[in-house]
Amino acid sequence: MHSQAHLRLMMPATLQDARAATESIVKLCDRFKTEDRALYGTAVMELLVNVVKHSYACAPGAVVTIHVISGPHSIQLIIEDTGKGMLPGRLANAPHELSFDATDVAGLPEAGMGIAIVKSVMDTLQYETECGINRLTATKRWTR
Amino acid sequence: MLMEDTAEGDCLVVSLMEERLDAVIAASFKDALLERINQGQRHIVLDMAHVGFMDSSGLGAVVSILKHLGTKGWLHLYGVTPGVMAVLKLTRMDRVFKTFDSRQAALVS
Repeated sequence: MHSQAHLRLMMPATLQDARAATESIVKLCDRFKTEDRALYGTAVMELLVNVVKHSYACAPGAVVTIHVISGPHSIQLIIEDTGKGMLPGRLANAPHELSFDATDVAGLPEAGMGIAIVKSVMDTLQYETECGINRLTATKRWTR
Repeated sequence: MLMEDTAEGDCLVVSLMEERLDAVIAASFKDALLERINQGQRHIVLDMAHVGFMDSSGLGAVVSILKHLGTKGWLHLYGVTPGVMAVLKLTRMDRVFKTFDSRQAALVS
C-alpha cells in the first residue's frame, strides 16, 4: 500500500484470531525495514492479545474492531473493544524499558513485558474510553 | 504444536517446528519443556531455526524454562532468526540467553 488506505477488520477475541489478524496487518507493511517489520508485528500481536486476555478475558463471542490506516509517512492502528478496558494511566505509566539484572536468573520477568515492547516499537500511543468503547491508537512511522 | 526431541549424550535438543512462538502456543510449549525437565533433563538446546516470530508470551515461556532449570542445568538457543533476535535485543534478554550459530557449538559449549 503506497497511498492512503483504510482497512477494517472485525476480529473474534481469540488468540488464534489475534495471530491471524497480526499476520494480515504485517503483510500490508511493505515500508518497514525488515527488522522493524518483525518488531512491528510483535507489537501488534501484543496489543491484540492484551485485548483478548485482559479486556475480554477470552470471553466467547466477543469482537475486536481494528482499523488499519496506511498513509504516506506512517501506519496507524486503532483497536476498539467493549470489554473491561485498561485502568487509567496504566499505559502512560508503564515503562519503555524492562528493568532486570541479567545475571539474576531467579529474578527475571516472565510476564508483563508486552507493554514495554509496544512502547518501544510504536512512535505514539493513545488510549481512551468513551461511551463504553475502549480505543487504543498506535502510530508508527515508516522506516523505508 | 510440533516439536522434535533428539538426545545427544546427556543433552536434549528440542526443535520447535513452529513459525510462531506466541500467545497461541506459549503455554503448551512451556508445559512440554517443563515436563522434560521434571523427567530429569538438565541440558537443553532449543533449536529455534523454524521460529520467525516471538512475542512476549513466547519469550516469557522461554524465560520460565530457564528459571526452572536454575543452577541445576542450562538452556542454550541456536538458530535464532533475525525476527526473534530483534525481540531478544529490544527486551535486553539477549544478555540473558546464550545463543549459538550451530547445533554443535550449542551442544559443546
